[in-house]
Amino acid sequence: MNAIEVKDLRKEFKAYSSRTGLKGAFRDLLTRNYKIVPAVNDISFSVKQGEMVGYIGENGAGKSTTIKMLTGILTPTSGKIVVNGMNPHKEREKFVRTIGVVFGQRSQLWWDIAVQESFRLLKKVYKVSDAHYNDHMDHVIKTLDIEPLLDKPVRKLSLGQRMRCELAAALIHNPPLLFLDEPTIGLDVLVKLKIREFLKEINEKYNTTILLTTHDLSDIEALCERVIMLDEGKIIYDGALKSLKDQWGDRKELQFQFLENVNIEGLNQLTAEMSVKWEMDEKEQLFTAVIEDIDELISQVISKVVAAYKIKDVKINETSTEEIIRNIYEKGLV
Amino acid sequence: MDKYLEMIRIRFLMMLAYRTNYYTGILIYSINIGAYYFLWTAIYGGKHHMVGLSVIQMTTYVAVSWMARAFYFNNIDREMAMEIMEGKVAVELIKPYNYLGMKTMQGLGEGIFRLLFFSVPGLIIVSLLFPVKFTWNPTVWGLFGISILLSFFINTQLNLLTGITTFFFFNNSGLIRAKRVIIDLFSGLLLPISFFPGWAQNVMKYLPFQGISYIPSMIFTNGFSHQQAMNAIWQQFMWVVVLVLPIQLLWYIAKKQLIIQGG
Amino acid sequence: MLYYLSMFFQYISQYMKTRFQYRANLFVEFFSDLMSQAVNFIFILIVFGHTSLLHGWNRDEIIFIYGFFLVPFAVFSSFFNIWDFNERYIVKGELDRILTRPIHSLFQIVLERMELESLLGGLTGLVVMFYSGSRLGLEIKWYDPILFLVFVIGGALVYGGVFVLIACISFWADARTDIMPMMYNISNYGRYPVDIYNSVIRFVLTWILPFAFVGVYPAAYFLGKKEWSSYVFLTPFMGILFFTISIFVWNQGVKRYRGAGN
Repeated sequence: MNAIEVKDLRKEFKAYSSRTGLKGAFRDLLTRNYKIVPAVNDISFSVKQGEMVGYIGENGAGKSTTIKMLTGILTPTSGKIVVNGMNPHKEREKFVRTIGVVFGQRSQLWWDIAVQESFRLLKKVYKVSDAHYNDHMDHVIKTLDIEPLLDKPVRKLSLGQRMRCELAAALIHNPPLLFLDEPTIGLDVLVKLKIREFLKEINEKYNTTILLTTHDLSDIEALCERVIMLDEGKIIYDGALKSLKDQWGDRKELQFQFLENVNIEGLNQLTAEMSVKWEMDEKEQLFTAVIEDIDELISQVISKVVAAYKIKDVKINETSTEEIIRNIYEKGLV
Repeated sequence: MDKYLEMIRIRFLMMLAYRTNYYTGILIYSINIGAYYFLWTAIYGGKHHMVGLSVIQMTTYVAVSWMARAFYFNNIDREMAMEIMEGKVAVELIKPYNYLGMKTMQGLGEGIFRLLFFSVPGLIIVSLLFPVKFTWNPTVWGLFGISILLSFFINTQLNLLTGITTFFFFNNSGLIRAKRVIIDLFSGLLLPISFFPGWAQNVMKYLPFQGISYIPSMIFTNGFSHQQAMNAIWQQFMWVVVLVLPIQLLWYIAKKQLIIQGG
Repeated sequence: MLYYLSMFFQYISQYMKTRFQYRANLFVEFFSDLMSQAVNFIFILIVFGHTSLLHGWNRDEIIFIYGFFLVPFAVFSSFFNIWDFNERYIVKGELDRILTRPIHSLFQIVLERMELESLLGGLTGLVVMFYSGSRLGLEIKWYDPILFLVFVIGGALVYGGVFVLIACISFWADARTDIMPMMYNISNYGRYPVDIYNSVIRFVLTWILPFAFVGVYPAAYFLGKKEWSSYVFLTPFMGILFFTISIFVWNQGVKRYRGAGN
């Protein structure tokens, strides 16, 4: 059975535009301009139990809206959603027992009471038995290293501390499906690593399905084999992260630092008959050649440059996932 | 000065955006005034005068004091409390303007909006429904104008004071509510100060509250002679000046505390 | 049902813990509640310093109505502290969180926003009722406490229903509304005998915003005013009716929720 099944899902919002100036504002009092904007535009996909899927896209691409429909917060305008075998919005109260949700920018915990009090309350809310709770949460608390935070009120925690507690709170009922909306936003590297490790672990241990949105692609590289990429409410890529890289990571960057003064025109002339794009970082006198990933070509470029100028340093870099994705958004996926 | 004017304008535009408020607000204020009108007619119960006010003057008093309330009333105390509790105030403090001044201007922007789009049409509607008597004496209108402007400042200053206390009490929703209740009663919104027993009136002479509602409403209903009106406005003005002192003092202490605690 | 009851007590115990963290404010809140009750009381006293009858009702009767009104109002304010629903749950998107939990959304909000200290107002109300009742020489029959309870619950449900309905406006209107605080003013009219108002307002207070069922109508029963009896016993039904409608509208509204930050 698929954990998530989405078919032709669509969500429209009315977007009001206000007229400019005072006069416009008065006219707005009587009638207002609006147009219907599809935030999510007829998308279809499915996620198998135990998969970890990265859901990425730029701001306003429709990520949050999709997550909110999948979690039963928003009602879709049209289309079909089946999550854990249920329609999230129709059977909301029954449905949400089978999912865990973490919104990175919004706290699930009660602000004024100690973390463990929040846990206790959530335990009752989700009707978790003592035996289950102890067995499961002891482990979660240990792995996330939040033992010393439990008796502090949430408002006294740092962002990283809070985020770990949020994650633990979302797992109290050990849901088979976990939604994470920007779980690592604003966190430092160590906390990020800890959270990733933890997510991997619960995925292996309980076969938990995880759907993750994030701005930080390193999260996705570390966790997800599959990505769904969204642009303007439409899915523009759905598949393995690896094949995305194979397909688009077909370039290399050659980075040079010289001992003498070099200008970019000279370099361009030097490699005129090859298809090389030179970029320059003026401050550090770094020159980068972006070329196709062909061994022959790489050595040709290097030998030409080395023959012409005195070199301090050379590096060969693969294009990063971030760059690949930026390329896709800029040029579109063919 | 420009940025403060801009603030007034922005608030004004914001208020325009909240349309639902605007439509329902007039309705609700009218119902409010209506209910007090009936309550007072029942209280008069056939008597023509009570404490020097006729039924019609009383009705006018009620109508004007509610409509004036739309002008001077604002929630900046609650807004400040929110900003302080959420720690946003520290950000506000590093912006290149006077925080309290900005809050006052926000209130004024809101007030002017409500005066034009709420009080004026509201008053017209109310005067069609109930026996309200307007004066056509321009001096009275002029004095009334000055008086409600001053009442705006007194009320706003009290709001600022309440808002600042959030620094010291952390959660002060109770205080904010208590303040509102006190103002409703002692400002003369619910009933004219002259209805209070003599000793209470004497106490209230030494408090700023009657400058908020009683004075402008009495001026409007011709309940004051010209000389009384001038004295009352002078008294309002004195309160505006006097209240600056505790505000600045508390604000100074509060800022110090903010620096120590780091917001 | 049992689950909801147990959740109720769970939240209450959490609530107590939080409240005792801010003891100072708790005290100020008690005080401000007492103040606002005193203000209305003072209003009545001052008015009756200038007249002896209000449309045929004397001072103690008016005070009795006010005392009765305080009890359902206290129950209402303890559990329906939703005047900032729009700000808190719609604009700031807190409803997102509510909707990811397996309890009915309105019930969760009621639990989260409880202010049990308001119940103290009910005590003030009882004191006021006993004071004016004894001056009027009212007798208490064995079934009066039961009827009192029924009327109080009915009245609180009327209030709850109306204010939930107003909160629901936020689901449809995109702009912030200040209707809620203004409505509190209107709600006060149930405190006075409705026969002082003209027929339009009386109609509104009986059938549209039925605040009269929170004060005058049930209080009239205890004051022995027979001419009101048909209204008196409508109180629990109006409460149930309005509250049911409000829950229905709420459920429809939640479907239209747009979420914050869009």
